[in-house]
Parts: sequence; structure tokens; C-alpha cells
Amino acid sequence: MVKGRGETSASYAVNASADAADTALKRGGPVQLLSPNGVRVDGRMPHESRFVYLKTGAVTAAAGSAYAEVGQTKVIVSVFGPRESYKAEAFSGIGRLNCHVQYALFATSVRGKASQGQEEKEFPVMLHKALEGAVMLHTFPKTTVDIFAIILQSGGGDLAAVISCASMALADAGIAMYDLVPAVSACCVGKEVLLDTALEEEKWSDGEMMVTCMASRNEVTQLKITGQWPGAITKDALNLSLDACAKLADVMRACLKEQAEGDEDE
Amino acid sequence: MTIVGEGAEGSAATAAMEVEAFKRLYPLQFYERYLDQSVRPDGRPLNRARPTSVNLGAIPTAEGSALVKIGHTTMLAGVKLEVVVPSTTAPDQGQLAVDFQMPTICSPLVRPGRPAEVAWSVSEQLSNALSSSNFVNLQQLCIVPGKAAWIAYVDVYCLDADGSLLDAALLAAVAALTHLQLPAVKVTEAGRVVPLTSQNVDGDQEEEISEKKSEDQIVKSRQRLERRPVPIGLTCVKHKNHLLADPSAEEESTLQTSLTVVMDSSDRLVSFYKPGGAVTATSATVKDCIDLAKKRVIEVKDLLEEAYEEAFGAEMMVE
Repeated sequence: MVKGRGETSASYAVNASADAADTALKRGGPVQLLSPNGVRVDGRMPHESRFVYLKTGAVTAAAGSAYAEVGQTKVIVSVFGPRESYKAEAFSGIGRLNCHVQYALFATSVRGKASQGQEEKEFPVMLHKALEGAVMLHTFPKTTVDIFAIILQSGGGDLAAVISCASMALADAGIAMYDLVPAVSACCVGKEVLLDTALEEEKWSDGEMMVTCMASRNEVTQLKITGQWPGAITKDALNLSLDACAKLADVMRACLKEQAEGDEDE
Repeated sequence: MTIVGEGAEGSAATAAMEVEAFKRLYPLQFYERYLDQSVRPDGRPLNRARPTSVNLGAIPTAEGSALVKIGHTTMLAGVKLEVVVPSTTAPDQGQLAVDFQMPTICSPLVRPGRPAEVAWSVSEQLSNALSSSNFVNLQQLCIVPGKAAWIAYVDVYCLDADGSLLDAALLAAVAALTHLQLPAVKVTEAGRVVPLTSQNVDGDQEEEISEKKSEDQIVKSRQRLERRPVPIGLTCVKHKNHLLADPSAEEESTLQTSLTVVMDSSDRLVSFYKPGGAVTATSATVKDCIDLAKKRVIEVKDLLEEAYEEAFGAEMMVE
């Protein structure tokens, strides 16, 4: 949905203040993220999450694995171990997590584009930090649990999908955790918060936020805010995201339960 | 481990435990007991391949894509197109670039930064099989001779490695290429290739397959690749007198001699690959393998047809 410049600023003026429209113009955003009647590019309402499909046990060769589809984003996470730590690593009384995230070459509209950016280097670090607090590392001393992820299709909110999927895979592998770790991203356009960012929105929004939390313990494990956020709506966005996380956690738990019941029947 | 006085259920559990222990301690003898009865631990007869499925169009960001499963072995192939200047040696041909990857998720043996050795050999065999079978008519990938042509990047990802990797990778690559559609493009006077959007093409033009010249502009319509004989692979493992088709990872690692045959659907032998191993293959074995591969080709070809009809059936009726 590409519009001319004049139209973009006009439609922004409907939803947001004039200066917000100016920022969008300065950044050259040709895409209208919110239609005049408040509908998003993919037809969702601002506070509506995308359709989620989750499945555990996607990779039989792994100790635990999960496949997640969040809107157009498709990821697979495999968990191996606990197994022997690398020889070069120093002794550790508690367990280690080793994370690795990669994009498939055809995941983006231009082939191999994602591999050239910083994402592939940043994602493993973020994934590690998001899960570290939730995994009971003391239950597998001296060993390493490998968490490997591949993004098959990039459709926005990639890291959030990877983190949610990884905690499902950890549960599938039987690694002890305090709670599941759902993750949700949000972005802001002018003074409007858009929940569960899609690809277009990720590219053209003014600011982005990603929250990962342990929903039933009500603890945030990771919070990342970038870009321009008007102070007043940051808190709203955080509450919205936490609420979405809690809902996602219910879906994740239901999926794991279903899987476990299916296994019992066999 | 002994369990006393647990009744029938307990003794069954003990028996299962003993079988498991026997399998771990003496894997070869474990397999031989089965093979002598002409059956495999998973219940298959020796010459039967695992259940196979083909799904076209799994990844919308790729111009062509396919998800293939043979037993647990899962392959995802995507084809991306880019415009390049054709090489001077073949100015009327496009290019095909095939790559096989085993990401860290697919097997406990692959670690980040250390690609599995098997990935290299599969990658090599895969691109050899595709180029020597002439499955893709490279001339069809040409847009303007000497000026512009498509390069089709075929990237095959192994999502779950459970044996017979080449067979599954080749099937995925072939399926993704049958799913591929070359987009409608026009070449401007300056020689740039631009996509045709629905606004500047009317319905009649889109249906036409041949290229059309009007006012120094070359318009190429949307098209699928020409259907050619399909190369299909079958891996077998040989142990003593037994020949097992489509081995799982466990069978491959226990019974070490493997043979891979690639044949195309018009019964031509594309390649035969036997990378050493403990057992030497006699000409009778080679012949047996080829016979098995012939049967497999028929099965797989039907699967491909079904998948194709499922993906494009409705569209074909409209045409």
C-alpha cells in the first residue's frame, strides 16, 4: 500500500499530532501504517495480536523442539542437551545456555538480506538474556543446553517469536524453568500504540518495544525500547504488551498440555 | 536391572528395557536379527521407502518453495530470483545456483560455526544431479540475450536430519523448481528490467506465454518452468546380503555401506554414488539398486504430480 507523500502526511494528521506527522515525513516513510478509520496495514485493529500457531516436537533429532507461526513469521527452535560443555570454556558450577539464531536465505524479500545486518549477531545475545532468568540453571551443573533457532520467514516481530518458541522447545526438552517466557513486540506511530508488530510496521514506525516476561510470576525478563516514544504512551504500551504476553502464555501452556496428553494416550 | 513381582506389565517393561540395552550394546547384531527375518526395526520390509509427502508453496517470500518429508527427514527448499547479466560464454542462458545447508537445528551433530561434513558432499551431489539431468532449461531463464537473465538461487535447508539426505534434498529442490513462477517483467529502453504490475498489463497480455515486442519494449509474461524429466534419488544401504532402501540415520550409521542412485523419470541414470564403505558392491547389487530406484521414481513422480495439482489445480481449470 504505497501512497504519495502528500497523502501520507494528511492521513497521519487524522490520527496523530502535526509534529508526529513531521517525523514520519522526515524519515521518508511512504507507507501509511494506519488508515483514517484506524485499521492497520494487515487489517488488524491497533491493539489486536496476530494469529499464533504453535507446535512442539517439530524436529525429532533434537531433545526438544518447537515450531511457531506468528502471523507471517515462521521459526523453528531446537534444544539439545544438557550435554558436555565446550572444552575451552572455564569450569562452571551452574549450567550454561548456548544460543544461536540464523535466518534462512529466503526468509526476506531480498535474498540473504537479513544475514548482512546486525540482527543475526544481536539475536543470540538477546535470546540468551531473555531466557537466562527463567531457566533453573542449577539443575544441570557443568553442562550446556544448546538453543538453536532458524527463522524461515521474516514477517515482523522475529525475535519475539524466537523467544516464545525457544521457551516452548525448552519445556518440550524437559529443562526445568520457573515459567514459560512469552515475548511480544509493539511499536508506536504518532500517539498510537500498535501491538504485535508486523514487518511493514517494524520498518516505518517511530519507535519499537519488545517485552519478554514470566507471565504467572509477573516478572519481566527483558525489555527493549528503541526509537521515539512519547512519554505518556510508553506505560500504556508496556501494559498492553504484558497483557498480550499473558494471553500468549495461556496459548503456549494449552499447546504443551495438549501435547503431553497426546503422549500419554500413545 | 531386575523387577520382582510386578506382574505381566512389569515383565513387559523389563523385556523392553533389555531390548533397548541390547540395541545400544550390540547395534549390529540387533539389526542382523531383524534383517534375517526380512524386516526392519521400524516395521518396514527391506525394499520399502518411508512415507513421503510434498507440499508446495510453504514460504511466500520465495518465488518457489516446497516442504518435503521422507519419514522424519524434513527439507525446505526455496527459490529466489535475481536479474544478472548472462555470462559471455552462454549469452542466451540464465543460471542456476544450488546450495544445501544443514542449520544447527537439524541434528545434534551440527554445531554453530562447524558445518557437518556430510553437508558438503550432499551439496555437491545435489547441484551435480540438477545440472547434469538438465531439469531446468537454462534458456528459459534468459530475458534479453546478452543483456539480462534470471539467476535462480535454490537454497535447500535440512530441518530434521534422519537419513537419506540427498534423496530428500533433491526432491525438495525439484519440487520448489516446479512451483517456481518467473514473474512478468518488461525491459525498458535503457535496458532495465522492471516488474510488470497489474496496472500496466491487461489481462490478455498476461495469458500469453511468448514474448512480445512493442515500441522497443520487451515484455515477458508470467510463466512456469518447462516440465522436463525429473531427477529422483534413492539411497540404499548394503549389509551382507541385504539391501535396504531409504535408510534412517540410525541405519546409515550402523550399516556403513551406502549407495545412492539418481535416475530421472524417463529412466535415464543420472548419477551413481558409492563412497567406499565396508562392503564392496557387486554388479548384481548395482543392478538391484537401480531396479529399486526405478520403482521409487514412479512413486515419487506421482507424489509430485499430486502436489502440483493441489497447488495449481484450481488455476489450471481457469486457464
